[in-house]
Amino acid sequence: MESRECKIGVYICNCGTNIAKVVDCEAVREYISELPQVAIARTYKYMCSNPGQELIIQDIKEQGLDRVVVAACSPRMHERTFRAALQTAGLNPYMFEMANIREQCSWVHDDPQAATEKAKALTQAAVFRVAYHEALEQMMVDMCPNTLVIGAGIAGLTAALELADAGQKVYLLDKQDHLGGNLARVDLTAPYLDSARDLLTERITRVKTSDNIELLLNSRLQELKGYVGNFSATLVSVDSDDTEENKAQKIEVGNVIVCTGYKEFPAERVTHFGYGKLPNVITSFDFEKMLRAGRIECKDGEIPNYVAIIHCVGSRSPEYHGYCSRVCCMTALKYVHEIKSAIPSCYVSDLYIDMHAFGKGHEDFYRRTSEVKTMFLMFGKGDHPIIRSAGPKDDCQMLIEVNEQLSGEVIEIPADLVILMVGMEAREDATETARLVNISQDKDGWFIESHPKLDPVATTTDGIYIAGTCVAPKDIPDTVAQARAAAGRILAKIAKGKIAVDAIYAEINEDSCSGCRICNELCPYSAIEFDDEKKRSHVLSVMCKACGACVAACPSGAIKGRHFTDQQMFAQIEGVLR
Amino acid sequence: MAIRVNPKIIDDLEGYGAEDVQLCYHCGNCSAVCPHADEFNVFPRRPMRYLQMGLERKLETSLEPWLCYYCGQCSDQCPRGAEPGETMMSLRRWLISRYDITGIARLFFKSTKVELAAVIIVALLTGIFFLGFGLWQGDINVYDGSNAFLPSSFIHNFDLALGFLVALFIGLSAFRFWWFSMGGKSAVPIPWWLYIKKVYLLPWHFFTQKRFADCEKETTRRIYLPWLAHLGLMLGYVTMLFIVMVFVKQLQAGPEINWSVHVFGYLASLGLLIGAVYMLRGRLKKNRTQYQRSHGSDWIFLVLLFIIALTGVTQHILHRSGLLLAANIVYIVHLMVVVPWLLRMPFTKWAHMFLRPLGMYFSAVRNEALTRQRSGIETTVPARKVA
Repeated sequence: MESRECKIGVYICNCGTNIAKVVDCEAVREYISELPQVAIARTYKYMCSNPGQELIIQDIKEQGLDRVVVAACSPRMHERTFRAALQTAGLNPYMFEMANIREQCSWVHDDPQAATEKAKALTQAAVFRVAYHEALEQMMVDMCPNTLVIGAGIAGLTAALELADAGQKVYLLDKQDHLGGNLARVDLTAPYLDSARDLLTERITRVKTSDNIELLLNSRLQELKGYVGNFSATLVSVDSDDTEENKAQKIEVGNVIVCTGYKEFPAERVTHFGYGKLPNVITSFDFEKMLRAGRIECKDGEIPNYVAIIHCVGSRSPEYHGYCSRVCCMTALKYVHEIKSAIPSCYVSDLYIDMHAFGKGHEDFYRRTSEVKTMFLMFGKGDHPIIRSAGPKDDCQMLIEVNEQLSGEVIEIPADLVILMVGMEAREDATETARLVNISQDKDGWFIESHPKLDPVATTTDGIYIAGTCVAPKDIPDTVAQARAAAGRILAKIAKGKIAVDAIYAEINEDSCSGCRICNELCPYSAIEFDDEKKRSHVLSVMCKACGACVAACPSGAIKGRHFTDQQMFAQIEGVLR
Repeated sequence: MAIRVNPKIIDDLEGYGAEDVQLCYHCGNCSAVCPHADEFNVFPRRPMRYLQMGLERKLETSLEPWLCYYCGQCSDQCPRGAEPGETMMSLRRWLISRYDITGIARLFFKSTKVELAAVIIVALLTGIFFLGFGLWQGDINVYDGSNAFLPSSFIHNFDLALGFLVALFIGLSAFRFWWFSMGGKSAVPIPWWLYIKKVYLLPWHFFTQKRFADCEKETTRRIYLPWLAHLGLMLGYVTMLFIVMVFVKQLQAGPEINWSVHVFGYLASLGLLIGAVYMLRGRLKKNRTQYQRSHGSDWIFLVLLFIIALTGVTQHILHRSGLLLAANIVYIVHLMVVVPWLLRMPFTKWAHMFLRPLGMYFSAVRNEALTRQRSGIETTVPARKVA
């Protein structure tokens, strides 16, 4: 391999004892400093600390280093830190490479000698690679300040108002003919027993009167083209099919918030509760309808003396959904209070697997529900209560047999009305939505976040945000928080006016491109467009995530991955092997 | 076969004092801290669960409430304020009313007013009867001997008749207790000879209340005062009952003091007065967990007992001081309290004096039967020695 003229500084981090207790950092340093392009090699206790970074900055300035390698933790952890240090010292931040000798060496190996050899190889690979690094510049693109909000439930309404209040234009889209989504079907809310109607009315009135919000009801997204800051969305009426293009409305937006919500688990899938067969076995949503109408009654119009509530219908079961739907437990407790206040003499039993009372005020709510003498009965996971019609001698409509866990007894409880707490599941059109806005779904159909903990409202597609129960089951406070977070993220971007796009992306050499279009279909980010006039493909660099799929697939070798050039890759491989 | 629940039981128990049982979420702290809970008797948790679920039959056949002396450690440990100790106490009241065949106990426990009215009516009838009887056949200025206002031979026969009546109802309740927990309604087959083997426990628990002292065995600062007060009161009561039933003639004779009888009377009075004052003071000041809540029946029990002891002592002093008219009047007051007190015994809290030792005896028998059943030992006949 030809050697390039360069002055590389190599810094080997001890990470306290995280690396040094297994890897002999001093031996790595000695080995690396022998390499001809290495001008200086140091070890230090914590490279990421301020003194550690200062060491690099000082060496760049004093020794005239033009490239830097840090052998430490994963680049996911501190690549940004060290790139920033290079920039401070006046060096292009891409003249940097990291060798991961913690996650890939000290944390996974017991043999110090072998780990040290591996650390030497990885560091050497980084040194060989960095020699071929080129200075790259970040791109700035214009940002359209308009936002498309898909779904007008509590999340959509909140996000739209947040953006509109900040003076930005919002298109609020919903397939239904009214605002409010699933929350509009609910009576009171847990744990404070506020009316859902009250929560919504204020939002809906403000949304309807806002000058900045354009309501698009009975409409759906047909197509979304473009990239962050510059999307073009085609909206059509829900009744129209895809061919009626004349009715379509095209809008320009910079960002999209997807808050399409959930749908309730269909109780008829669970056959053993007799839903649909026994007239007084109803779902939680049937019961909400009853509550909103203001009268709790059995099918025959009688007031029930005994009500039983069964939790986890469709949730936490290997047959249906493995996950917990998070809101049903507190909703069930809410029903107890609503039943007891409407019919004080009614006996309510609550059949649960585990009582999940994790939120603010929830444990207290659970306690208050105990105080009104709810008969809490625990059944086993994998087991289920059995409902049958009562006989003529019984003072109730149905009898429920439960293998009760806290007493160890098999018991039979009376019931006139049985409420099945159906969980949440992903909407049937979630797959279609995910395809349209280019985001992913998990095994249960929920949309996937960019990072479940650190970046929960962003997605892997820049400019597409997700909020509320389309991401996973959640309650109203969490949904509203996410909606506001998504709006906040977008407002921050709008405030900047332009958005920086990573300098690492694929480039097509138009002279070598044969126009075969293999890469067009392959790109998972829809970042490659075909120019019909030139008969050549080109990469929309802002959308490119630098995955390299097109680079590998191009039969003409016309595509280059910036920062992942063939030369850089071969040099790195040689560094490992030598 | 599934057991049918009765969701109304929890409402019913509220009248007996179990007001917070619904708060329990079965962490089991109460049963962990209880020095008397064991592998067969997981209480207070289990009875609390039965109560929450309305498993009436299970509660009715349960011995566990009788194993508790209400030291209050369970209630102190309860994270939810479900008052397991008070629940056990309430269950004992409920059980007494279940064992009672007449339905009087239920009436009294459910309404303090009814009990109080019954006490007053019986007291007035008693007063009228003895006043009339005394004036008709004796001299109000004579306390004992011939022409006595209330002749001791008559009182003796009256006591015996009353005692027989009380013993009859207590016996009936005790039989039903056995029938529910050990006999027809019980699921555990119990060999008869185990009853004999364990019979010594009956007087043992009755006279020592050792398990009350054991309540303190795992605490760092042991407080034996509640046990001593309880024991003093009970022994005083039993002694007094015995000497009144058997030696009322010697008691009433005077003015010289018959030490062989009176010394027991003095000791018993002391035990009764100190015990009653200790408990009344505790319930007024609510200075211990078990005194936090007082059911109406607890007050009637203690106040009447205190009046009985006080009037008993007073008439004795008045008699020895020669104030015979006053002694006779106090005697009538004394009888006006004693008669309703004795008559209500089988139907009120008082029944626990017999039922608790009985429960502990039954429990020991049942535990051994269960152990033998578990280890596969023959349960019906004692193992025969191989020749």
